[in-house]
Amino acid sequence: MAIRLTIDGQKVEAQEEQTVLEVAREAGVWIPALCHHPAVSPYGACRLCLVEVEVRGRRRLVTSCCYPVQDGLAVFTQTEKVMGARRGVMELLLARAPDSPTLRELAEKLGVTESRLPKVTEAERDCILCGLCVNVCREVIGAAAISFVERGVEREVGPPFDEASDACLGCGACAAVCPMGTVDLRWHEGELEIVPFKNRVPVVRCRECGEPITGLPYAEQIRARLGEKLASAVELCPTCKRNAAALAQKKAGAAGRAYVHHAKTPYRDQAPCSSERPGRASEPGSDGPDRCSQGVRAK
Amino acid sequence: MTVSSRSTESREPVPLSAGRSEAGLDGRAAEAARANPRGTATAERRAGGGGAAATLSELQEPARARWDALKRGDQPIIWVGMATCGLAAGAAEALKAAEAELEAHGIAAHTIPVGCVGMCSLEPMLDVEKPGGARICYGEVTPEKAREIVRSYLVEGDPRADLALGTVGDVEVAGIPRLSELPMIAPQKRVVTGTFGLINPTDIDHYLAHGGYQALQRALEMDPEAVLAEVERSGLRGRGGGGFPTGRKWRSCREAHGEPKYVICNGDEGDPGAFMDRSIMEGDPHAVIEGMVIGAYAIGAHQGYIYVRNEYPLAVERLRKALADARECGLLGENILGTGFSFDMQINRGGGAFVCGESTALMASLEGMVGEPRAKYIHTVEVGLHGKPTTLNNVETWANVPVIIERGADWFASIGTEGSKGTKVFSLVGKVRNTGLVEVPMGMTLREIVFEIGGGIPGDKRFKAVQTGGPSGGCIPEEHLDTPVDFDQLWEVGSMMGSGGLIVMDEDTCMVNLARYFTGFLRDESCGKCVPCREGLAQMQRILTRICDGEGREGDVELLLHLCDVLDDAALCALGNTASNPVRSTIRWFRADYDEHIRERHCPARECRGLFRYEILAETCNGCGACRRACPEDAISGERRQAHTLDQTKCVHCGACLEACRFDSVVKV
Amino acid sequence: MTIESALPDYRATAEEVVERYRRNSGFLIPMLQDLQKEFGYIPRPAMEAVAQLLDIPLSQCYSVATFYSSLALVPRGKHLLTLCLGTVCYLKGGKEIAQRIEQELRVKPGETTEDRLFTYQPVNCLGACALAPVMMVDDTYYERVSVHQVDSIFAKYRE
Repeated sequence: MAIRLTIDGQKVEAQEEQTVLEVAREAGVWIPALCHHPAVSPYGACRLCLVEVEVRGRRRLVTSCCYPVQDGLAVFTQTEKVMGARRGVMELLLARAPDSPTLRELAEKLGVTESRLPKVTEAERDCILCGLCVNVCREVIGAAAISFVERGVEREVGPPFDEASDACLGCGACAAVCPMGTVDLRWHEGELEIVPFKNRVPVVRCRECGEPITGLPYAEQIRARLGEKLASAVELCPTCKRNAAALAQKKAGAAGRAYVHHAKTPYRDQAPCSSERPGRASEPGSDGPDRCSQGVRAK
Repeated sequence: MTVSSRSTESREPVPLSAGRSEAGLDGRAAEAARANPRGTATAERRAGGGGAAATLSELQEPARARWDALKRGDQPIIWVGMATCGLAAGAAEALKAAEAELEAHGIAAHTIPVGCVGMCSLEPMLDVEKPGGARICYGEVTPEKAREIVRSYLVEGDPRADLALGTVGDVEVAGIPRLSELPMIAPQKRVVTGTFGLINPTDIDHYLAHGGYQALQRALEMDPEAVLAEVERSGLRGRGGGGFPTGRKWRSCREAHGEPKYVICNGDEGDPGAFMDRSIMEGDPHAVIEGMVIGAYAIGAHQGYIYVRNEYPLAVERLRKALADARECGLLGENILGTGFSFDMQINRGGGAFVCGESTALMASLEGMVGEPRAKYIHTVEVGLHGKPTTLNNVETWANVPVIIERGADWFASIGTEGSKGTKVFSLVGKVRNTGLVEVPMGMTLREIVFEIGGGIPGDKRFKAVQTGGPSGGCIPEEHLDTPVDFDQLWEVGSMMGSGGLIVMDEDTCMVNLARYFTGFLRDESCGKCVPCREGLAQMQRILTRICDGEGREGDVELLLHLCDVLDDAALCALGNTASNPVRSTIRWFRADYDEHIRERHCPARECRGLFRYEILAETCNGCGACRRACPEDAISGERRQAHTLDQTKCVHCGACLEACRFDSVVKV
Repeated sequence: MTIESALPDYRATAEEVVERYRRNSGFLIPMLQDLQKEFGYIPRPAMEAVAQLLDIPLSQCYSVATFYSSLALVPRGKHLLTLCLGTVCYLKGGKEIAQRIEQELRVKPGETTEDRLFTYQPVNCLGACALAPVMMVDDTYYERVSVHQVDSIFAKYRE
């Protein structure tokens, strides 16, 4: 059943259980958000996605990432109050990580040139505690290798006891969703390291060309779910996989035959950007999973 | 070591003195619990009858009989305030002394632990009741005084009007006022706290004998809809600070889709300076339980939780005992009072986090997670604990429910103001003569509470402000003391009633330091999830600390107000949304204080170290040298019997000289 | 006696504790508190056992243990020194007492003295405001404490 609402005066239609942010994005309306990712449940931590909503004559500021659409809702994304709140939040964020390119870019867009506020935390990392890495690891991947530690302004993200976690699969989802580039993958000789969490896992390499594919525990999980027939999913790098598929198709004849199956992994609709997604080309020799945050709807 | 055995019964009364030396509070209460299984008479009934659930009268009759036997018996009764305040002040030691004295005279007496009467600054309180005679309440009872009282009143027949506070009950004594007529007690309306001091909170029979669980029986005879309607009509609003209409909350939950439904009691009383809920849980735990069973019935829930903060171990023990007794009596659990309605509840504990007083954070904690709140665009009455419809209410709110069902919505609504019905329990603390727990009808003014009930400011100091609503509230200055206290009217002057903590401050309190204190508190308690609260409070605390250290800058106040705006607009939960109140209200009413700190580097209240001077008054200094000896920096010089002088360049503002001076000759300037 | 047998049986205690709360992970905080009561802190092997028995991530246990003030991951001192820093206690001298404690015992909030005698834990309100300032050593209350009494109170525990 379609739900009718307006965004900045523009009429839009939405589905039940959609959030204002989702609908706005679909309609091409820009609302900033740092702790949001389509693969992960809304968290509402960064507060940048604040908008004003009016329902039954009452107006208030809400975070659009969590606010469910309803019939007759009027959404305002550019009011004074909204802009003021976003700028205030941005200034606080800049104080925490003044050199972050992500923050600087976003600040400029919001009209904040610099922060009058000093740094008030001992934290060294460019981490805004958005929770995406923690939430994707727990909710989507199911590994829960990292979590929030402590509370308040000295809060951090890390593995239990600040030691490499053996629950980490080395899938790289945390790095893929991090909006700041703080969580990153480092490929060593035989190991994949998740920075800054100290988690290290052995690496699985392409049996054709030797390019690193992913972490071994993750590969084993995939293999276990897909079975041996689909083991190529974690034995070949994207390029070699495409080559193998093209070769197979050639052998099978051109028209009328289905393109070699794309493995439908359980993670397919959830993982941010599998380089196996049809239509998405990844550069040859690209380093690790792509970072993309568009299009894929979370379940 | 017990004092007596009752002639009519086979069981010893509560041996309060046993195990005191090695056990902590838990031990004492546990001892009490073990020694006093839910009342002999009811135990016998259970043991004999078995099977069918008791009806209320089957429970009430033996309970009343026991009570009558106690009151009409031939042994004196010693009533001792054994809530946290009493115990902290030394009630156990006082009782031990009293018992020793009784034994020395060969007197057998009952000893009954009771909850907090509310006159906390006069703890330990010990009441002595003569068989057929007056019950006299004594305050500030040291072990020595206890012995004296026993000797004087019970042996020599002298009630000691010089030591007595007042009489309790019907029998009066010449020369001793009635406790209920004391200036601190008379203006109060003790509805929820009415039983405090009169019943043993660990003995369900006492509760039953005073009409306990009558409301539950009545409710179970009504339709759940009718019970709900009664609560709606009463106008009861949440007592935890939010003031949301309770009936409306219950109705939304009742109508929500999802099973099972839950009811929760929020016992995470975190506001510093507030101990209303602690007193209720320790003094009358059955009132809370009864309220929750009634609420569960009205809503259609069968499982409940009481979440008690970690810092209240005695409350946990008392509730545990009460739950166990209620279950044994068929007032909780399967087929309550034979009506077919089943409901049970468990106690869960907090881990030390103020934010868990917020409903969604509390529920997260109940799910074994960190106490992080979530957006409440979908209310917890629809999606709450484990994603199910949940009704969460405060301790005092639940305690009001049996009263409403028993005496009716109309009676309840006849008390209070238009928008705020009933009474409110407050903890009146700080710079006030009579500190303690008070219960007044909504609408009484702050002036009446502070100056009549509270007895005004001690030491001839001037009133400066009263903080209401804890870290979520603001301070009210003298000019607004005639504001009636209720949910709505304090908003106008920049504060809120909150959960009931009233902290009185005098001229020696620095309001900037107070704002810094509350901001620092909230900064430590912030869960850290959302940016405005996590970062904003740390920034505000930094600025306020600079100001209190004499490093304030022009523009700091404006920056503070800006950060207040960000918190108000952008914070995720009520902790962040209300955090600006202490800062805003102190700036609003005491802007001059802020300006003086910043522009003159001087603290008008003379509290912020380094922002005022110590001086020796030459006119009154008699040269005793005490200050000179006390000074760690050798900043004071002077000959014996000559006025001394303080070298400001050496002074480190430690205040040792002021503490040492016996002649009021060191002053703060 | 081997090293292994000298160590407490963390796993067995964890099992006992988990059973006490009927394996309901909603009672994680009380479980960790009970372990802390037993061992004086929450030992890592005990926490790992709890996570395993309840089938919840270790990272959740660790998050919880570091979030809530009452839970400790390092061994505490022989005596727990709790200072109330609620508003009334703070205003009535609690601030000075805190300074004195930090000075005399050379500890910051949450820390344990070098001789492992005291762990200093300020709390935000004990609910005994009428008797401010309030301090506790283990289960013993000290009320209306003046800054001068602090040293003599400590001395009692040093004997």
